[in-house]
Amino acid sequence: MAKKLGKKARKFARKNLQSAAKRNRKIRNQFNHRRGPRRGESLPPTLLTSAPLFALPVRARLQGGLIESLLELVSGGSAGREDGDEDVPQRVHDSTMVTNDEDATLIHGLEFPEDDAELDADLSDSDGYLSEDPGCPYYSDSEDEKADKDCIMEDGLDRQNDDMNRDIKKQKKKLKKLLDKDPEFANFLEKWQSELESYRSNKEDSDEDGMDSMDDDDDSNDGNSPNAKVLKSKTISEWCLLVSKDPKSPALRNLLNAFRDACRYGVHSDGLSMQRFQNARVFYQIITFVLSESDNVFRALLEIQDDANKGKIMNLRNSKKWQTVDPLLKSYLRNSLDLLSQLTDNKILAFVLTRLRASVVLFSAYPSTSSRLVKILFRLWASGDQSLSLSAFLMIREVSSLLPDCLDLCLTKSYNTYLGSTKLVNDRNTKHIYFLIDCLVELYSLDVQKSYERAVTSVEQLNAILRQAFKTKEKEDLRKIDNWQYISCVNLWVRFLCCHYKDYNLHPLFSEVLQVIRGVAHLFRGTRYLPLRLRLVQMLNDLSTCSQMFYPIPSLLFDCLEFREVSQKEQTQRTKINFSSLLKVPKNLLKSRDFQEECVLSAIQVLSAHFAQWSYHVSFPEVATIPLFLLKRLHEQTTIESLHRPIKRLIDQVTENKDFIQRKREVVSFSPNDKASVDSFLQEEKFSRNASFTRFYASVAENCQTKGRKTL
Amino acid sequence: MGKRSGSKRKDKNKVILPPELPPEIDDDEVDLSDEDIAFYATDSSNVAPFRRFDKKSIDRYVGRVAGRDEGEVERLYEERQKRKATESSGKPREDDDGLEVDPVDALPTKTLQGELVYNRAKKARSEDNTGGVKSKAQENGADAKQSIKKDEPKGKSKNKKGDDNKVKNIQSQTEVPKGQLHSNVLEEVKEELSAEELFEKKKAQLAELGMAMLEDPESNIRSLNDMLSISNDKDQKVAKLGLMSLLAVFKDIIPSYRIRQLTEKELAVEVSKEVKKTRYYEYTLIRCYKAYLQKLVSLEKQPHFYTVAVRCMCALLDTAPHFNFRENLLASVVKNLSSSDDVVRKMCCEAIRSLFINEGKHRGEATIEAVRLIADHVKLNDCQLHPDSIDVFLSLRFDEDIGKDETEEEKVKPKKNKRWQKNQEVPKQLPVNDKKKTRQELISKAREEVDVDLRAVSFTLDPKERKRIQKETLSALFETYFRILKHSVTTSNSRTKVNNVSPGGSHPLLTPCLEGLGKFSHLIDVDFMGELISCLKKLSGYSDRQDEIPNDNALSVSERLQCCIVAVKVWRSNLEALNVDLQDFFVQLYNLILEYRPDRDHGEVLADALKTLLWEGKQQDMLRAAAFIKRLATLALSFGSAEAIAALVTLKHLLQKNSKCRNMLENDSGGGSLSCLVAKYNPEATDPYLSGALASVLWELSLLEKHYDISVSSMASNILSMANLNPTQNPVPILNVNPLEAYRDLSMERELLKPTSKALPLNLKKRRRGKEFVALSPDVLQKADCSVDKDELEEKLQSHFAVLRGISENERLRAELNHTLSSVNMYKDYKKQKKKNMKFKTGRKKVARV
Repeated sequence: MAKKLGKKARKFARKNLQSAAKRNRKIRNQFNHRRGPRRGESLPPTLLTSAPLFALPVRARLQGGLIESLLELVSGGSAGREDGDEDVPQRVHDSTMVTNDEDATLIHGLEFPEDDAELDADLSDSDGYLSEDPGCPYYSDSEDEKADKDCIMEDGLDRQNDDMNRDIKKQKKKLKKLLDKDPEFANFLEKWQSELESYRSNKEDSDEDGMDSMDDDDDSNDGNSPNAKVLKSKTISEWCLLVSKDPKSPALRNLLNAFRDACRYGVHSDGLSMQRFQNARVFYQIITFVLSESDNVFRALLEIQDDANKGKIMNLRNSKKWQTVDPLLKSYLRNSLDLLSQLTDNKILAFVLTRLRASVVLFSAYPSTSSRLVKILFRLWASGDQSLSLSAFLMIREVSSLLPDCLDLCLTKSYNTYLGSTKLVNDRNTKHIYFLIDCLVELYSLDVQKSYERAVTSVEQLNAILRQAFKTKEKEDLRKIDNWQYISCVNLWVRFLCCHYKDYNLHPLFSEVLQVIRGVAHLFRGTRYLPLRLRLVQMLNDLSTCSQMFYPIPSLLFDCLEFREVSQKEQTQRTKINFSSLLKVPKNLLKSRDFQEECVLSAIQVLSAHFAQWSYHVSFPEVATIPLFLLKRLHEQTTIESLHRPIKRLIDQVTENKDFIQRKREVVSFSPNDKASVDSFLQEEKFSRNASFTRFYASVAENCQTKGRKTL
Repeated sequence: MGKRSGSKRKDKNKVILPPELPPEIDDDEVDLSDEDIAFYATDSSNVAPFRRFDKKSIDRYVGRVAGRDEGEVERLYEERQKRKATESSGKPREDDDGLEVDPVDALPTKTLQGELVYNRAKKARSEDNTGGVKSKAQENGADAKQSIKKDEPKGKSKNKKGDDNKVKNIQSQTEVPKGQLHSNVLEEVKEELSAEELFEKKKAQLAELGMAMLEDPESNIRSLNDMLSISNDKDQKVAKLGLMSLLAVFKDIIPSYRIRQLTEKELAVEVSKEVKKTRYYEYTLIRCYKAYLQKLVSLEKQPHFYTVAVRCMCALLDTAPHFNFRENLLASVVKNLSSSDDVVRKMCCEAIRSLFINEGKHRGEATIEAVRLIADHVKLNDCQLHPDSIDVFLSLRFDEDIGKDETEEEKVKPKKNKRWQKNQEVPKQLPVNDKKKTRQELISKAREEVDVDLRAVSFTLDPKERKRIQKETLSALFETYFRILKHSVTTSNSRTKVNNVSPGGSHPLLTPCLEGLGKFSHLIDVDFMGELISCLKKLSGYSDRQDEIPNDNALSVSERLQCCIVAVKVWRSNLEALNVDLQDFFVQLYNLILEYRPDRDHGEVLADALKTLLWEGKQQDMLRAAAFIKRLATLALSFGSAEAIAALVTLKHLLQKNSKCRNMLENDSGGGSLSCLVAKYNPEATDPYLSGALASVLWELSLLEKHYDISVSSMASNILSMANLNPTQNPVPILNVNPLEAYRDLSMERELLKPTSKALPLNLKKRRRGKEFVALSPDVLQKADCSVDKDELEEKLQSHFAVLRGISENERLRAELNHTLSSVNMYKDYKKQKKKNMKFKTGRKKVARV
């Protein structure tokens, strides 16, 4: 992978390599404290190859902190761990970019207050090293010595290291010559070296004060790690065998120690732990085995079942069994977390998470460890990668359902993380944001009572912002609404309502949300805000569907169906407009063809959703009357050829369904005030879902999915 | 006028006292002159009610010598005026046709033209505001000082008569040259005195002068000149401050009567000193006021001073609409009614409105003047003005009986007179001899005189006069309205098909004009009625050809709806006696409902149209009612809750009035129950009579019952319950409001201003902690299970390891390399040191040797 790196990147990496990883971790942690994890941990290496391009993403991410993004660039580029399937470099000229950028700078205050107080109590009380049973075998034969080199040498640093080796040899020779020439020089050198040493140690001491607790604690512990025996593949295999045969085997300790070293591998550049791993295979063996087996092992040791909950674990804590297992378990869990914060590859992370998920319940014994776990999880959840996000979320869900005291933290964190990641919405992450919404709703449905209170607070906040903006009509206040965070927040609660409206009495929240939506639609009229409006209409459609209440969608869509002049000059350059990542259309596109097209097509989509909902209702013909009237007129007037077909198609379908309903209702005898009969009208047809309009709507929805214009 | 003022200037050299008043000759006042003399001739107690400061001045100026001292002051003024004149002659005189101002008014004064800073205008304004506040504060601070100063001359005046004046003159003398000094030497002093200090100084001076003026206007009236000179300052801030303080002073000292010019005869008559003094005071006041106004008018053209000048004028117009030069003020303010500057426009509108509302201040004379001016303004600008300039008319008030016929009133009047005469006549007829008759006449004459006096004092107009003024106002008002209507008709007809989207785009004045017509519809003369209605019909977009798309009108939907409203209102307020067929307007409304767009058009207008045309009307034609019922129900399905509720309220009302239409609520087999011309309902018909709505069923209501808005849904079910009732019965009213009120109640604005209702806590019956997934689709979840395959994992982990190792290896090697390199480099240092040591050693050796 590293071969892909540009020349410059390599140079850059060489220069900054030493400190980058360390600093990166440190700073990332700091950011995590403050504003939750961010997505897009790394940028494509190609960005590094040319200087002007380099500046642009930095500007785009200004709100994320210059340093952070810089460091991400550095670490991403230097380590060369990029996945081949990373997204293509962002088109920075994208017009959406600029608007989103502005939006993102808004600080919102929508977030739930987060309690950052941390319990570091059991983080620092042990060094994590387990005393080993000397009875365990260490094999020293090197049967696979020869395979040692080749897997390491894949790395791009290798050549550089070779060069350096040569240099060192050369310089050493030179030094030796000098020393030979002048023996007194040796004394001088020695003196100087000792001075240097003392100076360095002083400096390091002061440096460490600012370090993250994790590093802190590790640094101090490294010294007393007593075991420096080299681990051979055979040794590990033997241990694995022992442990899988008998969980109580002392080899477990050794194995866990090895796991500890593996997890910290590369973090600290002391030779000791580096030397323990003979080759990559050993490393792999240890990690895979410990991760995949330890859950079973610990459960066997503690004699607990799969369905154990927190109470059981807490009870166990006082038992004698626990005393023996406790250090092992603690070591395992903490080291896994270290590994999680250490790894950068999405696939491995996902793997670790899946393995670790099995033993979530064991975290309940260590509150501070679990809160650290939650933090890591949310960082990973918000990262863009789909499978990683999913596995992180599943873990989060497990944590919040199994550890009741983590639920609050999880709810708050997930909400805030979600808001944080919706600051910037572009074509690429819309899908991810929908995924995040789904996850959030999932999480919030674990305890609806609790979530309802949060939802009410959040919606009240939204409402207050809306009212304030409505009162003052000032630009600042309006900007608090006209941004992704606000809209995403509304979207979230709409989704939440949709999932739970049937099962719970959520009507107060429902009407509150409805008011917010209507208010926003009322406040932001005009053609420029059509994307925002379409989004709101989609939400209304969803709410209407879930509550079976009637909402007159067409009144919000008239703007889209109005024929407007199209400027002819823009035929040459076609700009792609995607409403899913826009709230406000740039002024220069207002008269463009594409905008008109997108408007009408989106309107057709939401309108057909509305029609589909009431397509079996007895008053469908009346529902369709006015929209149909407008559609016909638009069909006559529009000059955009490509729109003729979809409009005509919708008109035909609606007319067909209208005739169908009319025919059906001509033969019934009940009157409009006969509620029961009205409700039962055409119910059978509705369930069979065979009417042409239903099929039409299905095709429209599908079409939109494939086109990327996603329904909520 | 120009000539006269010129001669005035010449005169000034010769005649000092009594001063000539500015040319303000009004016919009425000339007539009254005799009386006026009498006024002044009477003792001071008579005058006292008008002039509050008289007593004080009497105390002070017991014996004023109008000699040397006065002359000195006058000379100073004249010098300045001359200087001004010479300056102004050098500059081109600005033409101002639109404004009928005295050419002298347009005199550019010693100005700051060179220093105009355009882009700072806004900033300066705000600075000016703060400056104003500051100066006020300073005024307060200066209060103590002033009182001491005031006490001094008072004490002296007891001893010597002329002393007071001397002190005053010295003061003013020192102040006036100071001002001149400042302007003259400004360039030289600039280096020494910073601009800020100067500013502070001038501010203080202004504050002092202003305080003195407010303290005792009678004796300090001449300070006005000083203040005027300060407002001529080169520093724009100072000038603005000067303007504002002058405004404050004038607001305070302008008397409640109009100052009249003295006739030759009056001048010739010997008058007491006291009267002379008063005349002098008035003369100075009016002269300064005039100069001030001239200044304002000239400054108004400078963008930097624009807002300040207009603000001053508006404030003056507001406080002193009765005073001299009102015409000039009005002209300026009216001109600025359609200013592009929002702030200015608002101020002017407010000023004119208050003029209309507080007619007591000026006996309605200013009203008619203002209305006429606006009418001329509209005419001149060909109806292309800001809507606000017509909007002010809505604040006009007319007596209820103004529109009644003259004859009718005359009929009433004689009766009254007769009764009064009868009462009079009873004693009249008894005495027969002439002597008594003449005496009677004398008495009645005296009474009349007293009446006139009383009226002059109390500002009440006799009803006839009042009526005359109101009539004239009304005619000017309608002239304006009709002009706008005509203009709209001609231009909209000439226009080709334009898809008009923005409301009031091409006819900015039409909307307020229609509003005004609606408001004053009861005052419209019957003679105009026919023309007006046909005009409105054209404007509402009605065409005889039914097949035409009704969109070829340049007017917006709101405007067309308003036309309908006005037509119906006019028709209705004239006792419905007018022989006009309003059918066309109903057809128009029927079609306009479909054209209505919630965000583009004003919903209130639609609701108002529903209210005026359908809700308030008497029984409708059954076919028409049915058509509207159906259309309104359809409307309610596609529009927001506010529109929906307005439609439903109207619909219910129609159903109540037209009980036959209730058949639409029921579904008889075979469609509608009533046979009509059209058997099948056609929702797109443009003619309500041809829509066949009677054959339809109001299915909409069944869906509206599911409306998200509780008031709409309950209204729908309320209407549906009518089906079960007798035609004479009506359901329990749940919402007793007209469509307009209903609309307003549910409009988003209202809803957002309502206080937030606390959401109720959720009471869950079942407390479920579900394990199953709710939101995530199963196929997404499936992806999570198929984790990474082993080989890939191995490869990745190993590469991870390799990278880590590579990094640490690299780190280690680099450290080593650095170390070796630096060691090698150290050799140089070592050598140097060695040399030094050697030298040192050799040196020491040398020393030792020596």
